[in-house]
Order: sequence, then C-alpha cells, then structure tokens
Amino acid sequence: MALAVENLSFAYTRGGEELFDGLSHEFVPGEVTALTGPSGRGKSTLLYVLGLMLAPTKGRVLLDGVAVSSAPDAVRSRVRAHRIGFVFQDAALDPTRTVLDSVVEPALYAGWSLSRARSRGRDLLEQMGVGARADHRPGEISGGQAQRVAVCRALVTDPAVILADEPTGNLDRDNATGVLAALSAAAGGTEDGGVARTVVIATHDPFVIERSGQVLSL
Amino acid sequence: MLREALATAWAAKVPSTLVTFLVATMCAATLATVGRTAAAEEQLLSRLDSAGSRVLVVSDARGDELISPTIVDQTAGLSTTERAIGTIIPVDVVNGAVGQGATRVPAWGVHGDLADVATLTSGRWPGPGEAIVTETAMDRLGMQAPVGWVAQASTTVVDDWAVVGSYTPREPFSDYGTGVLYVSPQGRALDSLHVVLTDARAAQAAQGQVLRLIDPPTPDSLTIISPVSLAQLQEQVTGDLAGFGRTLLLAVLGGGALLTAIVVLADVLVRSKDLGRRRALGATRGTIISLVTLRTLGPALLGAALGTGLGIYLTHRLDATPPWQFTTGTATLALLAALAAAIPPALYAATRDPVRVLRTP
Repeated sequence: MALAVENLSFAYTRGGEELFDGLSHEFVPGEVTALTGPSGRGKSTLLYVLGLMLAPTKGRVLLDGVAVSSAPDAVRSRVRAHRIGFVFQDAALDPTRTVLDSVVEPALYAGWSLSRARSRGRDLLEQMGVGARADHRPGEISGGQAQRVAVCRALVTDPAVILADEPTGNLDRDNATGVLAALSAAAGGTEDGGVARTVVIATHDPFVIERSGQVLSL
Repeated sequence: MLREALATAWAAKVPSTLVTFLVATMCAATLATVGRTAAAEEQLLSRLDSAGSRVLVVSDARGDELISPTIVDQTAGLSTTERAIGTIIPVDVVNGAVGQGATRVPAWGVHGDLADVATLTSGRWPGPGEAIVTETAMDRLGMQAPVGWVAQASTTVVDDWAVVGSYTPREPFSDYGTGVLYVSPQGRALDSLHVVLTDARAAQAAQGQVLRLIDPPTPDSLTIISPVSLAQLQEQVTGDLAGFGRTLLLAVLGGGALLTAIVVLADVLVRSKDLGRRRALGATRGTIISLVTLRTLGPALLGAALGTGLGIYLTHRLDATPPWQFTTGTATLALLAALAAAIPPALYAATRDPVRVLRTP
C-alpha cells in the first residue's frame, strides 16, 4: 500500500495563499512519517488533504496508484471508512457514548456488523491496555487513555493509512510515549500481526520527530 | 443506523424532549381544534342527511288528478329515489263499533309500499278495504287491540275499513303517528307525492325528473316542498367547515414543523463537531442525513403517540371525538411534518465542511 502525493498545492480560498508549493512525496509503509514545520505551513491541512476531506487545488493524492483525491464525495467517504484511520488532537470521542461505542464507529460506516465491530474493538482496547475502560464514558478516562482509545478507533477497520493530527499535543511525556508506541506498532503491523501501514503524524513535538522513521518538513 | 440514531436521540435529551413536545402539541392541538371541527362537521352532515331533510313533496294544488298511481310507481323507480309513496288527503274516521259522534282520528290513504311509511308492530299489512292503526289512535278510538273497524266520520259518505294491525310511523312520516293508514283504492288519483331522496344533493335533479313525469299543465297546478335550498346550505356549511379545518390544520402543522426545524437545526449546530467527526471517520453525506432524520423519528413517534392520546382524551371530554381516520391521519401528518422539518437541517449538516469544525485552534 503506497500513499503518495504528486505536485500538490492547496488554497483555502480561490486566489488565496497556496500551501505545499507543488509537493510530491511517497510515504513509506511500515514507518511513521512526521509532518513538521512552523505554524501556518499546513501540517494539519496536508493531513486532511491526505485524508480526502479537503480536495487539492492542484495535483493529486494517490492510494495504490489511484488518484482518489478527485473521486466523488461518496467514494472518498467510503475510502475513509475502509482504508484510512484518523486520530485527532483532542481524541474527539463522543462524550455521550461508551468508549467501545466510539471505537466501533468507523466499522459501522464501513458496513461491518455490530457484533464483529464490537469484538474487534474489544481486542484492540485490550491490546492498548484500556480494555477495562470499554464500558466507561470518555469523561471517566484520562487524556492518555482517551488518545489510546482514539488510536484503537483509527485501527478498528484495519486501514492501510493512519493519519494523526498532533496526537501527543495534550499529553504528558509518559502518555505521549504510550501513544507513539501504539502508532509505531500500528505502522509495523505488530499490534495485531497485520501488514505494514502508512502512518503520518502532523506534529511539532521534537519527542515525536526524534522517534519517527521519516520526517517531511513543510 | 437506526440503533445509532436512537442512541444519539437518547443522548441528546433536550432536543429530543423538545421534538417530542412539539409533535405531541401538533397532534393534540390538531385533534382538539381541527378534529373537533371534523366531528362537528360529521354531526352536522349526519343531521342534514337524515331522511327528514331529503324529502320532496309534490301536491296537486287544484285537485286536477295530476298524480296517478303510475307516476308514483315510476318515481319509486328513479335512481335518486330511496322511497316514494302517494297519499290521499286525510279524512276523519271513528271507531265503527262506537259510531258517528265518537272521537275522530285522521286516516290517510297510501299508494305504494306501506313498509316505506310504517313499521308493523302487530297484526298484518292491510289489503284493499283494510287499515292499520297506531297505539295513539287506538287509545283515541277506544280500541283495546288493533281489531274491529273504522268508518269515515261523515253522514253522507260511508267508507269503512277493517283494522288488521298496528304500526309505528317511519321517518320522515312521523305525522302519521296519530292516526290510521289504509290502502288507497285501485286507480284512485293521489293528492300528494312524497319522495325520500337518496341524497339531498340530488334534490334538484330529482325534482326535475318528477315534474317531467307529472307534466303539469301550468306551474301553479302543483305545490312543491323541496330540499334543494337545504342541500345548497349543506354544501355551503360543510365547505366552509372543511375550508376552516384545512387552514387550521396547515397552520398548526406548519407552525409545528417550523419549530421542529429550528430545534433540529440548533441541535445540528451544537453537535457540529460530532457530525464532522463522523464525516472524517467515513460517514457519507447520505449517512449524516439519515442519522439526523432518524434521530428525529424516535422522539417524533413518541410525541405522536402522546399527542394523539391527549387529543383523544380532550375531544372525548368535549364530546366531539373525531373519526378514527382523522385521528390516524393527524398522527401520520404530524410525524411526516416533523420528518420533513428535519431534512433541511440534515442537508445543512451533511454539506458542512467537516475540517472547519474539527480543527482545534
């Protein structure tokens, strides 16, 4: 599975400032790639473009050689549901649902049965050391645990690509280490004996950058 | 999807409660106002449609023998006729056993099926030269039972009829409740033609048909008592009531739907981050629309059930329970109005840029 961008540029408004300046890059499966750069250079924006939530103004995003960035919205949504996992900066768990309900959400959009999704979700939570919190609400777990739950959610459909936006931004060093270890394991496919994945982390945290296999500076 | 929608509806208790309340109010208000109007309309229609308001009476004004038994029989065969009989001007009769000078009661000669005019309560239907009496007439005539005979109260004419049974008059012939009915002599011209129409709205057409059958030499040869104007009034009143009901129904449902749309929109705005997260995790726009709409369905169903129950209770207390078709129709319309109201906010939610709501400053 190869995630790549070709001649990529993006502007939020027509005629506005262009980001990425015709960026071309191929992300290496099995390694964590850190997206770095000063604020305002578009780290999170590139993540959303890679995640097919924003359409590039120039160039394209390729997944296994297919230009998915120009596909219709419904197709891009399906690609996100089946092949891309997201980890947000603030975990973004539904405060009204249990941890397990949050984890299985992408699997339901991917058309999995509830029982299959819940079984996979429980396994992932156990592997990440938060299995005991499966039936708790997000308000009842710590920030580090919440972010590990978010990693479980990103992995639940066994996606080929995981995109994480400042996943350690709100965490102390111990929790950041735990989350980073989980993402590294996901990249190597070691968390569930699966295949190598492409993991891209938008970050300005030197701790994360030091431990990433590749660094892409914007 | 349904499970997810119900779970989020349960989680969002304030908007769900508001939607339940609004739909319940829509149903209860519609039943208590429009439903009451519908019930009143039904009662009015039932009254206006009673046999008494569907009678066309044509009388031979100058005794020109214009109404023959054949005309009565032909009139009975018209498609707009429910019942038709011919009558002879009543004469006074007395109990034949007592003789002249006894108490008099009226006697009507009838051509046609007597069962159209009366219900036999004892004895048998009369043949030529025979009569039946009511309980009231029996009392006045001094009869213990419907047996004996009655004679015309006249010193010159000596008609008499054997009494063979008793009867009670059928609507709209309650005037015949005080006397005697006898079979009109064969071939005798009749003085009045009474036609009970199938529908008051057919009065104009039926009147025209009857007049063509009688074919009077001059318009003033006949006097006509017709339900035509009553039928027109019936149409006007029911039309006015239906129009008022429709307007009121649209106002209640429209107002309720608007408020529901505002509540759902507010919920969508409050939960924009939740919906953005769902889009990022792979939910299609269709999924978001279905989710928001189905999220409204659960509380709306509950509201429709509660509102219908309350509406039925209120109208029952006001003694104006609307027809069941109206009640179920109201619940369905309120439900559809709530679902339709949820669609614009759902479309708005589905087309919002998820990145804008997901980005943490």
